[in-house]
Amino acid sequence: MEAAIEIKQLVKTYKSKIGDINVVDHIDLEVGKGEIFGFLGPNGAGKTTTIKILLGIIYADGGDARVLGREVGDMAIHKKIAYLPEKPYYYEHMTGIEILRFYASLFKIKDEAKLKGLLERVNLANDGHKTISQYSKGMQQRIGLAQSLINDPELLFLDEPTGGLDPIAHIEIRDLILNMREEGKTVFISSHELSDVERICDRVAIINKGRIASQGRLEDLLKGGRYEITASGVPEGLAKSIQEPDTLVSFKDGRLIVDMPDTTSPNAVIEGILAAKGSVISVIPRRKRLEDLFVETVRQKNEEEKAGGRK
Amino acid sequence: MSVILSIASTTLGEAIRRRVLLVILLIALGSLIIAPGLSVLQPRGQQAAITSLTMGIIQMTSALIAIVLTVYMIPNEIERRTIYTILCKPVQRWQFVVGKYLGAVAALGMMIFFMTLVLIFVTSLNSGFDIARVQELVKGPFMYFWQMAILSAVAMMFSTFVTPLVNFFLSSGIFIAGTVFSSVFQSFMENRGTNELTKTLASAVQYIIPNFALYNVQNPIINPGQEIVNEFGYYLQSVGYALLYVVGLLVVAILIFDRREV
Repeated sequence: MEAAIEIKQLVKTYKSKIGDINVVDHIDLEVGKGEIFGFLGPNGAGKTTTIKILLGIIYADGGDARVLGREVGDMAIHKKIAYLPEKPYYYEHMTGIEILRFYASLFKIKDEAKLKGLLERVNLANDGHKTISQYSKGMQQRIGLAQSLINDPELLFLDEPTGGLDPIAHIEIRDLILNMREEGKTVFISSHELSDVERICDRVAIINKGRIASQGRLEDLLKGGRYEITASGVPEGLAKSIQEPDTLVSFKDGRLIVDMPDTTSPNAVIEGILAAKGSVISVIPRRKRLEDLFVETVRQKNEEEKAGGRK
Repeated sequence: MSVILSIASTTLGEAIRRRVLLVILLIALGSLIIAPGLSVLQPRGQQAAITSLTMGIIQMTSALIAIVLTVYMIPNEIERRTIYTILCKPVQRWQFVVGKYLGAVAALGMMIFFMTLVLIFVTSLNSGFDIARVQELVKGPFMYFWQMAILSAVAMMFSTFVTPLVNFFLSSGIFIAGTVFSSVFQSFMENRGTNELTKTLASAVQYIIPNFALYNVQNPIINPGQEIVNEFGYYLQSVGYALLYVVGLLVVAILIFDRREV
């Protein structure tokens, strides 16, 4: 797959009183054209810094970054990309349509029908004449998305696009992003809304303290779901006979709880319970969630760092 | 050019809606209206006193507006993240700086224009409408506009690397130094008794700090007996001097802002 973003050994260092801090620490990343890519990490992990480097707003101290096949900083890239920052501000005295006219003028676009079409696309057709100060948070986010689509970009950088929105606005923005995939656009999303990322992204990377802690296809990263089997009326001795690998067996309030990987069939355990005259209350398949992966990855990396000192 | 004009017109639209500037302008307009009443207390001729006072009000208000307007221009864009949505589009940083500056100067020009209208109205109300007198009066605000264009460029240059508060004091300090001490530096340079080192330093300061005093043409306006020799040439030279400084300061601003991480 042709790459929309290629990052090799990217470094960004800030000076502080305690010495130099690598906010972005030798990261490697590749995002294919047409992908929706999730860029995740705790606050201060280096997500926004990486995006700003890719946009040419700040400069890297080392490594190489290319966007749409060109070196970052090349003005030709700016005609094909778009950026929606976290909690953006738009000139409040302007109306929705005036905001779009302003951003369109930066591309020398004067197509009024296109701007009205964009307002329709983000469900603001009837609110284009209202000033931004009259817009709700969700409407401001939608006008933000509309301004980012003015140049029909090949690649969009969205920083927390659904952050702080109510559930309806949340779904609307999510659907708009999914539509972008259908149009073949590449979307690079930095977000804390892991449920959204899980639903819309093809691949993700988790960045922690400036380093990539994990990256890959979501379906690969989220492999390894589990079954939770709950049974009653089972003698405690049965627990010892359950010998399946990577399986946790416990008793709680007289109930047997078996937590086992979904790579092993639960039939043998269920048959054992029934043979011991027990009753199976439930068998719940638990898919691994992105949230679990995120917390697990970040914790593990932090523990490794504590144990070995940062390399 | 259209990119610069778009940024300038948006900046103008925002600037003329800034409450703090409108309050300053309203106070100035109010002061201009009540100025004739205050002049009763002046021992000098009433007309001269009114003109002197109103010119002073326009100049001080313009300076305050120029500084307050410009010191926040770039820091606000960064703080509110508007700059990111602009710079990620095909907009060069120099276009952004020039657009912001032109927007600020346009807003400043508009505000000076309003004050001039009130000045003409108040003067005419006090001593009758006289077109020749009006022509004399507008020379003051005209020159203040160029003076403030330089001051805005100074504040714009500082706004690319210092905080608004520091910028406020730096720009104010340079305005005061360029207005009050310009003649002092000049006398150092021309006095035969001054040693070479002092002359060189005075000369350097004279070139670095713009000579804002050039634009204080109120004396011939207040006292019709005084005249500027070759008036047209003087105004032309002063405008050229302003343009030269503005371009120089914007080039420095662009060079700093170009490498700045926002």
